[in-house]
Amino acid sequence: MLQSVIAPRSIAEVAKALAKSAAPLLMAGGTTVMPMINSGQHDVATLVSLRNLGLDKVSISKKAGVTIGAATPIAALSRYKELAFLAGAIASFGSPTLRNMATVGGNLFVQRPAGDFAVCLVALGASATIAKAKSSRVEAVETLVRKGLKPGEIVTQVSFPLPAAGTFKFRKVGRRALNTPAIITVAAVVPLVRGVIRNCRVALGAVVPRPARASHVEALLEGKPLNLETASTAAMAASADIDPADDAVASAWYRARVTPVHIRRAIMGEQ
Amino acid sequence: MNNSRVAIELNGRTQDMLVQPGTTLLSALRETLNFTATKRGCDQGGCGACTVIVDGNAMLSCLIPIETIAGARVETVEGLAPTGGLHPLQQAFLDGFATQCGFCTSGMMMAIKSLLYVTPDPSREDAVRAISGNVCRCTGYTAIIDAALDAAKLKSVPASKAA
Repeated sequence: MLQSVIAPRSIAEVAKALAKSAAPLLMAGGTTVMPMINSGQHDVATLVSLRNLGLDKVSISKKAGVTIGAATPIAALSRYKELAFLAGAIASFGSPTLRNMATVGGNLFVQRPAGDFAVCLVALGASATIAKAKSSRVEAVETLVRKGLKPGEIVTQVSFPLPAAGTFKFRKVGRRALNTPAIITVAAVVPLVRGVIRNCRVALGAVVPRPARASHVEALLEGKPLNLETASTAAMAASADIDPADDAVASAWYRARVTPVHIRRAIMGEQ
Repeated sequence: MNNSRVAIELNGRTQDMLVQPGTTLLSALRETLNFTATKRGCDQGGCGACTVIVDGNAMLSCLIPIETIAGARVETVEGLAPTGGLHPLQQAFLDGFATQCGFCTSGMMMAIKSLLYVTPDPSREDAVRAISGNVCRCTGYTAIIDAALDAAKLKSVPASKAA
């Protein structure tokens, strides 16, 4: 039974609330926490909202890269021309109304087949700043989404370098044109150095338990020219990177079957 | 249980209330303040019937614990119409037969109002995207999209037309 809902104004207050309550739960935009609360199927005693911590700032520079406060709503990202490369990913994320609520930090913790923005962050090589009452640490987002937070911790911001123009790739496939959960989400950064692929990062969502890199795909892209043959061959290796499941959106069989096609299309920028 | 006192600015007027922990904005509107135009559909953020505007942005009122938005500016359908008249959105919905059962209508209107704030002259694609989180089970989307585009063209509606 929910005993209290609080919206602290400092991280110290959050830490205190987390330590004091028998069953606390952090909430950012509320788009996954509140459906559970409304259903009554929970044992949360204290809901701790991160809304009033001022964690909704975005800073962008060529040198320092991009830093996004964890409580920044997804919709706010479309205001920055430097983040125009994310427009397709943002437009594919829920509805405009949902994007006004769902946050960058919250998306790191949602379950598949949601979590498209976290897939982008893994591809971008983002790191997360994680704060406790009196200390903070930095961890790669690809590690954080797998391991989760320790008790008493909150994510305060994520940072990533701006990808070189034209190197970011994104493809999300769902059952509907708009506002759809994913059959598969692919995000990648594919840089070319002297005509060959160098230090590429390919991330998958919805066909893996948590957003993760497709290391077998990456290995076959590395050092090759970017063409249809390279992309097709590399994408076929994804069967070793995925662990799809059945859900209301698609079967595991179907997801496994179409994964290489969509990875290839993502990398080649096909429609 | 810690009941708390929360004030919001609802359609331009301060509303002060005492709420139980976890009361959503939707429940506060409908059950505490008696503003029942905003509808409860799924209570899961999936249908859009409860869409209201909070500090200028369309949001799902069923997913907002009221304690977390103390002091916020909230707009509902009740705040759209001037006394004795209709808001252009309401007029366009009326003229275009854009409601059937009416259950989704208030959420649709607030989602479209939010679109028109930032995009006063929307394309059809803009309107389609704006209501992509709002479910109409009378399958009336075409008329609703048409009404959104018509509302953008209506500058103002004379009060006498409401009669």
